[in-house]
Amino acid sequence: MNFKFTKIKVGSKQLAVVSAFTILLFALTATAQIERGSVLIKNGTVLTVTKGTLEQTDVLVRDGKIVQIGKSIATPAGVNVIDASGLFVMPGIIDAHSHIGLDAINEGTNAITPEVHVADAINPMQISIYRALAGGCTTSHAMHGSANSIGGQCQTIKHRFGTFDQETMKMEGAPRTIKFALGENPTGHGRRDGTQPQTRMGVEFVIREAFSQAKEYKEAWEKYNTNKLVKGFRGTPPTYSLRLETLAEILKGNIIIHCHSYRADEINMMLNVCKDFGIKRITFQHVNEGFKVAPELAAAGAMASVFSDWWQYKLEVYYSTAYNAAILVKNGVVTSINSDDAGMIRNLYHQAGKTQKYGGLSDDEALSLITINPAKQLGIENRVGSIEVGKDADFAIFKNHPLSIYGVPQYSIVDGVVRFDRAKDANDMRLWTDPKETVDIPTIHKSYAHDKDNCVQDVELDLSDLFNN
Amino acid sequence: MQKNYFSMMVFLCFYCVQIWAQDEKELAPVTRTYALTNARIIQAPGRMIEKGTVVIKDGLIQAVGASVVVPSDAVIIKADSMFVYAGFIDGFSRVGVTKPKEEQRERPKDPGKPTNERAGITPQNDVRNFLNPSDKAIEDLRNIGFTAAQVVPHGNLLPGQSAIISLGGRTADAMVLVNNSAMYSELSGAEGVYPATIIGVMAKWRDLYRQAQAAKTNQSLYASNRVGVERPVSDRVLESFYPVIDQRMPMLFKSEKLLETQRVLMLKNDLKFPLIVGDLKEGWPIIGKLKNAGAKVFLSLDLPEEVKKDDKDKKADANSGTKKEEPKKEDKPKSAAELEKAALEKRKADAIANFTAQAASFNKAGIPFGFSAMSAKPKDIPANLRRMIAAGLPEDAALASLTTTPAQLLGLTDRLGTVDNGKMANLVITDKPYFNEKAKVRYVFVEGSLYKMEVKETKKGDPNAKVEIQGSWSTTTDSPQGKSTNKVTFKKDGSNYSGSISGGRLQNEIPLKSVTLEGNALTYSYSLSFGGRSIDVEVSATVEGDTFKGNSSVGQFGSFTIEASKDPK
Repeated sequence: MNFKFTKIKVGSKQLAVVSAFTILLFALTATAQIERGSVLIKNGTVLTVTKGTLEQTDVLVRDGKIVQIGKSIATPAGVNVIDASGLFVMPGIIDAHSHIGLDAINEGTNAITPEVHVADAINPMQISIYRALAGGCTTSHAMHGSANSIGGQCQTIKHRFGTFDQETMKMEGAPRTIKFALGENPTGHGRRDGTQPQTRMGVEFVIREAFSQAKEYKEAWEKYNTNKLVKGFRGTPPTYSLRLETLAEILKGNIIIHCHSYRADEINMMLNVCKDFGIKRITFQHVNEGFKVAPELAAAGAMASVFSDWWQYKLEVYYSTAYNAAILVKNGVVTSINSDDAGMIRNLYHQAGKTQKYGGLSDDEALSLITINPAKQLGIENRVGSIEVGKDADFAIFKNHPLSIYGVPQYSIVDGVVRFDRAKDANDMRLWTDPKETVDIPTIHKSYAHDKDNCVQDVELDLSDLFNN
Repeated sequence: MQKNYFSMMVFLCFYCVQIWAQDEKELAPVTRTYALTNARIIQAPGRMIEKGTVVIKDGLIQAVGASVVVPSDAVIIKADSMFVYAGFIDGFSRVGVTKPKEEQRERPKDPGKPTNERAGITPQNDVRNFLNPSDKAIEDLRNIGFTAAQVVPHGNLLPGQSAIISLGGRTADAMVLVNNSAMYSELSGAEGVYPATIIGVMAKWRDLYRQAQAAKTNQSLYASNRVGVERPVSDRVLESFYPVIDQRMPMLFKSEKLLETQRVLMLKNDLKFPLIVGDLKEGWPIIGKLKNAGAKVFLSLDLPEEVKKDDKDKKADANSGTKKEEPKKEDKPKSAAELEKAALEKRKADAIANFTAQAASFNKAGIPFGFSAMSAKPKDIPANLRRMIAAGLPEDAALASLTTTPAQLLGLTDRLGTVDNGKMANLVITDKPYFNEKAKVRYVFVEGSLYKMEVKETKKGDPNAKVEIQGSWSTTTDSPQGKSTNKVTFKKDGSNYSGSISGGRLQNEIPLKSVTLEGNALTYSYSLSFGGRSIDVEVSATVEGDTFKGNSSVGQFGSFTIEASKDPK
């Protein structure tokens, strides 16, 4: 799919229109006031990811875009300088699977809820966004949960921490994505409610039935729209349904599927479903058994977003290996490492580093897992994920190499604006204070330990019947 | 708190009306004419008559001015040194609205496909069906000067149509000034069924609205030529949206919070309906957005409690048992924890200040706004208004937001908002300027009916009275669901009281959480659990011999009269 993007002039609401998406544009003119900065990052070791490593190199940013990469670039007037001598400059880290910055994750009341959109639940004030920045992560894929087979639409967000505006958090022009889920989560949910699906067979049926209905809906509208043009036509249009409308957009190729999955059999099943309905763009999420079907994934052009080494938290993830990412990469699958967690999103560079221990990936291969590859999975690779002229000025600047265990993020920059500066990291970075909160020391905040599956937040699962399915 | 000034007369008047309905003649009211003489009349913000008279006749203001002839049949109220204002308008609340009894809400077979009722989608409902003229909340709000309110039904997603009512009147219909004033919505989900979360709610909202748009187009196409076209099915839910789609009726949202309000604005910008935002508490960062959206705004009269610095410190110190606090020396360096705590407290204080200054910010930005009593306790409202004024809201602006501006926003300027000839006789009369801390509301007129406030002192109880409460009491609470009777037992242990409540609709005996007796002023409280929720009941009463009488305030459901007598031993 070919997406064009909208350029926004700094400090003005004027838009240079490049896009054909007039509706989207209207929304942008109405609300977005994205701050874009100009900065010169001097004398760093630039890890471009796609074009190698450049020693003692400057990167010049104008109005949120990279305009020049080279040696000894003169400082233009009015441009702030960041001295990166002895530091490593990498593209801002991208997390292809997270749930931060959202007030709601699962509308788990029905097996099929493609009409819902997490963009409606964005909470720009969540401190987890700032914490992600403190780990060099500048873009994340805020996802619907995995309570149902076809969950809601997801939103690619840029970590523009500091705004109250939900619209500003959205990465403008990013393609639409949607969450699907296979296996224990949706079936456990179905068993609890006594609804479909309760087995892996049921999951396939539910998805096929939904796509078939969407196909009928799409065809009914196409027929109506053709007939409407005939003179003297009298007839009523099909009943509008936001649910079927959204599913039809998937069939048309306008929405990328991100499918929660673990087992090889269900991954093959989903590949077949996509093939039968002509769906080309799919990224499998988690994919713990991806290593078993890596060639099939590569052949189908499907992508994979995995954990570095997280396993054993439920039955379907026992057959796991820390070599998963490396095996997928070596088989030519576009692979990323994700966090699915407000804690792990802060150290994705460590997670990527593990692939050098387990699988011996090169620096660029390992860094790709948290930069250009997740960008490809979200359809934003022409904007972010590497340091190239023309791309968005999103960077993570490290003391020591980011893949080293001694790597420490110093700055996180989004659209040329410094959103995290370790030197200016105050104790209290909250944007909003509850006037009714109880102030007490020590303040115990909600634990973000990775002791639970965030994908099933807000829902109860019945896993008692696990061994029968 | 108040009694009807000429209660006998008014009673007779009502009685007559009732009788007339049955075609029988009875006594006519003695008079419906009043004259407030020698008062300072604030006709509208910034427009004052230093010493004048207001004549009220047949529910309307008949004359206002410095030299007005008092009609011979008028009851004269000497209002020397008193202040007369137009009755206040509450732009958004549930005053007088009964909550329908909650049926046992079982989880439906398929939580993905609940009925519209279960999902909270009943836009065809009319708040008039739930009005209760004898709701105590009406009296509470009227006692502080409110005479009209826009009220909405209970519910979650699309509970129904609102109405603008008079805070007086005998029947539901008699109270209604404007019916179907707006369609009401809250962005809150249905428990356990679709749509349960904000993402489901937003999707369902868009889906319904677009379906309604399509249905409306189809129906008008069908109406223009029915031959050979299948009849479009009628749908009460979708049809309720038609006046909104036509921009003839606004959507009224309850929206306290910043993000919630921005979500309402997203829907507004997507779907283009006229918008009223009600009970807004966190609106100051998005004043520009609200302005661009052309939204009408009713700011909440509820404010976060002020932190009393000294009390808090003492309490906190008492609680930090591990660390024995030395007598404080000013030069002693503060510990990291103390510094952190101070910083957090500063942020909290700033947040409270922001909430308090919301009205001032809107005023400064030139956005007209009214007020909403939805989540405010009536007894806090005058003090909260004073806090807003102290935070920079000019008094005239505060008064405008209670009178002229809501009249304008709700399309009532020909009837309400100022003290002018021909307007409805809705008036507030105070002994000091309303925003003065010591001001007391002395009289309120609602459509020409007079309500006189008792002077407060008698109510407080006598601190020196000696009464004994130990033993068992039978209490009767007057609630909209009818009278309920309970047994309350008090025990004395040393100088402290304890007790329990049982009987009536309670299945078990419930211990009282606190009992206090100061002089003859009795208070006690307990918690009811209600479908997994806990509701606090607070009773305050005055004891006289073997009886007590007072108020029972039940969570957000309102406050009811309670009477009790001691059981014979």
